[in-house]
Amino acid sequence: MSIQILTGLIKERLSVLARHPAFLGLLIGLLAAFSQALLISAGGPEAYGFCVACHTRDLVNGMSNIVADTSLALAPISKNAILPVMSVVGVLIGAFVASRFNKEHKIKRADTRTYIIYFLSGVLVLNLAMIFGGCPYRAALRTGYGDITALLFIVTMAIGVITGTLLMLKRAEKEEV
Amino acid sequence: MATGILPANIAIIAVPVFTLLLGLLIGYLAQRSGYCSIGGFRDYTLFRHTRLLSGYLTLIFAAFAGYLLFWFLVPSSMEHFFWPLTSNPFSPVPGAPGGLNTAAYILFAIIPGFLVGFITVLLGGCPIRQTVMASEGSYKSAWFFIGMCIGSIIFALLVSGWVVTLMKSLGFGA
Repeated sequence: MSIQILTGLIKERLSVLARHPAFLGLLIGLLAAFSQALLISAGGPEAYGFCVACHTRDLVNGMSNIVADTSLALAPISKNAILPVMSVVGVLIGAFVASRFNKEHKIKRADTRTYIIYFLSGVLVLNLAMIFGGCPYRAALRTGYGDITALLFIVTMAIGVITGTLLMLKRAEKEEV
Repeated sequence: MATGILPANIAIIAVPVFTLLLGLLIGYLAQRSGYCSIGGFRDYTLFRHTRLLSGYLTLIFAAFAGYLLFWFLVPSSMEHFFWPLTSNPFSPVPGAPGGLNTAAYILFAIIPGFLVGFITVLLGGCPIRQTVMASEGSYKSAWFFIGMCIGSIIFALLVSGWVVTLMKSLGFGA
């Protein structure tokens, strides 16, 4: 009986922990460092454990190089390995499993104009992120590695987010009046 | 050449396998927690909520702690840790287009930083949140992800060359 209560308590605590963003932040940071310690022999760059923009680039360009025999640029770690980094595929499958398992999977459609805006934004955001050399996640990893330009990126990103938020707020207030 | 725990001939096979497992774990937990870097700053500005922001700030400190830990355990894999002590403190960890000077990399951090923050907050999430929402069944996030895939080819073929040429013609060459 007491064991059941104990396992129930542990399960509850684990589920609370799994749903807290700080736990995932801790996990990504530590596992990205472990990933570098494990795999750096395959090639650089450093502080490359997890990045949505760069790993999408590596996946798309690497698969295109293998399938269509092109020679698009990608990071050495993906160029040397038998297949490029697969973390974005993992994120897609993991999030799909999680949403199905917890009954949160829901098809949400929008109009064509929204799709075009999101598509063009995707192109733009990826290009901007690659000019810097990483998405917000790699910026955090690089800051942890001691890169001051990445810290600058995070600070200006925060300023950009605050500007955008205030703009949205103003627009919402205008619609209310 | 940095060497990690695995020798090079095994590491090249382990790369896709390990990153796939890492991605599965991150994707599962990101869906459960609604993890988002942009959302953290947005929620703090709007409501003074610190839940999402704590996730992103923890990531920065956890990355430092993790790199420090593995620098102690496997020093050969962390060739340039801690970056400002081993390299020029204002030069970036490689990843951005190469062959430019320090001022160019500072501009590369400031301008894309502001724009990425501004654009993604209007779309409602950073790249990982969009990827997770695409898996949850949101069509517009799926189009964002397709945009990122097409964008990576456009970057490799056109934009990276343009940016380097532009910066060099403006006198930012190394």
